[in-house]
Amino acid sequence: MPREGGGGGVRAARLWPYAALSAVALLSLAPLLYMARVSLGQGSDLPISPADWLGRPFTLEHYRSLWSGGPMGRFALNSAIVSCAALPLQLLLASAAGHALARSRFIGKRATLALATAFLILPRQVTLVPLYLIMAKLGLLDTYPALILPHLADPFGVLFMSHYYQTMSAELEDAARTDGLPARTIFWRIVLPLSGPGLAVVGVNGFLTTWNSFLHPLVLTTSESMRTLPVGLALFAQSEYAVDWGALLAGSTVATLPVLVAFAIFQRQIVEGVLQGSGR
Amino acid sequence: MRAGRPSVGLLPWGICFAVFGLFPLLYALLLSFQDMNPLRPDASHFVGLANYAHALGSPSFWHALRTTVVFVVGTLPVTLVLAYGVAALLGRIRRAQSFFRAAIFFPATLSMVVVSLVFKSLYAEDGLMNGWLAASDLARVHWLQDPRLALPSIMAMDIWASVGYYAILLLAGRKTLPVEQLEAARLEGLTAWQVERRIVLPHLQPVILFVVLLNTIRSFQVFIEVFVLTRGGPLESTLTLVYHLYERAFYHFEMGYACAIAYLLLALVGVVLLIQRRVLRSAEVAA
Repeated sequence: MPREGGGGGVRAARLWPYAALSAVALLSLAPLLYMARVSLGQGSDLPISPADWLGRPFTLEHYRSLWSGGPMGRFALNSAIVSCAALPLQLLLASAAGHALARSRFIGKRATLALATAFLILPRQVTLVPLYLIMAKLGLLDTYPALILPHLADPFGVLFMSHYYQTMSAELEDAARTDGLPARTIFWRIVLPLSGPGLAVVGVNGFLTTWNSFLHPLVLTTSESMRTLPVGLALFAQSEYAVDWGALLAGSTVATLPVLVAFAIFQRQIVEGVLQGSGR
Repeated sequence: MRAGRPSVGLLPWGICFAVFGLFPLLYALLLSFQDMNPLRPDASHFVGLANYAHALGSPSFWHALRTTVVFVVGTLPVTLVLAYGVAALLGRIRRAQSFFRAAIFFPATLSMVVVSLVFKSLYAEDGLMNGWLAASDLARVHWLQDPRLALPSIMAMDIWASVGYYAILLLAGRKTLPVEQLEAARLEGLTAWQVERRIVLPHLQPVILFVVLLNTIRSFQVFIEVFVLTRGGPLESTLTLVYHLYERAFYHFEMGYACAIAYLLLALVGVVLLIQRRVLRSAEVAA
C-alpha cells in the first residue's frame, strides 16, 4: 500500500508539468483556432459562445469573397511579390557582405561591425520620416522598390553570416586561391554552396520580418492597390461600422498560412535567429 | 589576402545600409532641427531646438510618454515571470517537449496585425468575451471603449503574444545549466525551490538581462496594437509615443517635430537600457 501511494505521488509530481503545459499550449493556440474556425463558419457576425463558435456550418464563402470581390487578393499578391523579391536579394547581400567582413581585413571594418550591431537594437521608427521623404524624392513612393529596398539594409543577416563564415574553415577557399581561381568564382562555387545552414536562418527570419512588416509599408504606400496584406487588413478593420469579421479573419488566416509553413519547416532556424538577436 | 582593402562583396549591402540605414538616421537628426512640411518643402527652415522645446512643453507628448511607460512597466514583469515559469516547466519535461515548445512559441512569429485583429474581435462589444460574461449573468465590459480598460486590454494581448518568445530564450539558457552542480544540490537535500533560487537563477542572470533589455526595446515601440485596436483612443488613453509620432508626421505633416519625438524616444530607450544593465549587473554581483 505505501509503495503504491508513493508511486502515485511520484507520478503526480511527474505529470503536473504536463497538465500545466497543456493549459498553456491551449491558451496560446486557442485564439488561432478561433480565428481559423470563424473564417470557415457561416455568417459575418462574431460568435458569442463556444457553442455558437464551433456549431456554425462550414463554408468557404469568406475566402471566395476575398478572392473575387474585395481587394484582399491584391494585398496578398503584393505581400508575396515583396517577400519573394526581397528574400533572394537579402540572402545574396548577407552572404557577400558577411563573407567580406569575415575574411578580409580593412580600415573601417570594426566601425562597420559596430554600426551594424547598433542598428540591430535601434528603434526603426527613427528612420520612418526620412525614408518617406527619400522615397518621395526618388519618385518611389507607392512602388514595390520602396517596400523592398529598406529590408536590404537590414544588418542582422550580414552580422549572422559574418559570424557563420568566421567559424567555417577557410582551407578550401585558400586552396582554390592558390590554384588561381578568381575571387568571384570562389564565392559562387565554393563559399555559397557551403552557406546553406546559415542562409536558412537568415532567410526564414528575413522572410518573417518582410511578410509581417507594417509601419514602413503603411506610410510608403498611398494607393489601395499597393497595400500589403497586414496594412490592408489593418485599414480594413478600421471602418467603424459593420466590420465583416468573417472576411477579416479569413484574410488574417491567409496572412498566417505562410508563417505556419515557414514555422513547420524552419522552427529550429527561427529559434536560432531569435537567440542571435534577429529582433524585429 | 590583401589587407587594407575590403572585398567588393561588402559593397551591395554597404550601399543599401548607407542609403536606407545610416543616411535616414542622420537625416532624421537634421530634420529634428527643422520646421518641415512635405506639402510645402520650400518653406522648411532651421528652428534650432524649437521642436525639442515644443515636445517637452507639450501635454500630448508627456501623456504619450506616460502611456508608453505604463505599457512597458506593466507588461515587462508579467511577461518575464510567465516566460520564466513556462521555460521552467518546459525544462522539467522529457516527453513531447518539442510539441509544447512549438505550440507556445508559434504565436510569437505571427504578424502583430493578425494578433491584434483576433483580439479586436474577441474584445468586440458583441464578441466572445462579452458573450461569456453575458452567459454567466455578468454585465458587459467595454474592453476597448472604456478609457480605464483599453490600455490594460492591449497590455494583456501583448503579454499573450510575447510570453512564448521569451520562454524560448530562457529555455535555451536552461540548456546550459550545470547538471552536476544541480545533482549535487539535490543530493544535499535542497528543495526544488532552493535549487531554483541558489543555482538556476544566478546561472540564468545574463539571459534574464537579455530578455529584459529586448522586451524594453520592443515595448517602447508599441504601435501596431494601438493602430489596429484603438487608434490611440478612447480619450487618448492608449496614445503611445510611436503612435503620437506617426500622427504628427503623417496626419499633421509636422515631420521635423516627429523626428524630434523619434530622437527623444531613441535617447529614452538608450538611457533606460543603460540603467537596466547597471542595475541587473550589480544584482548579479550581489547574488
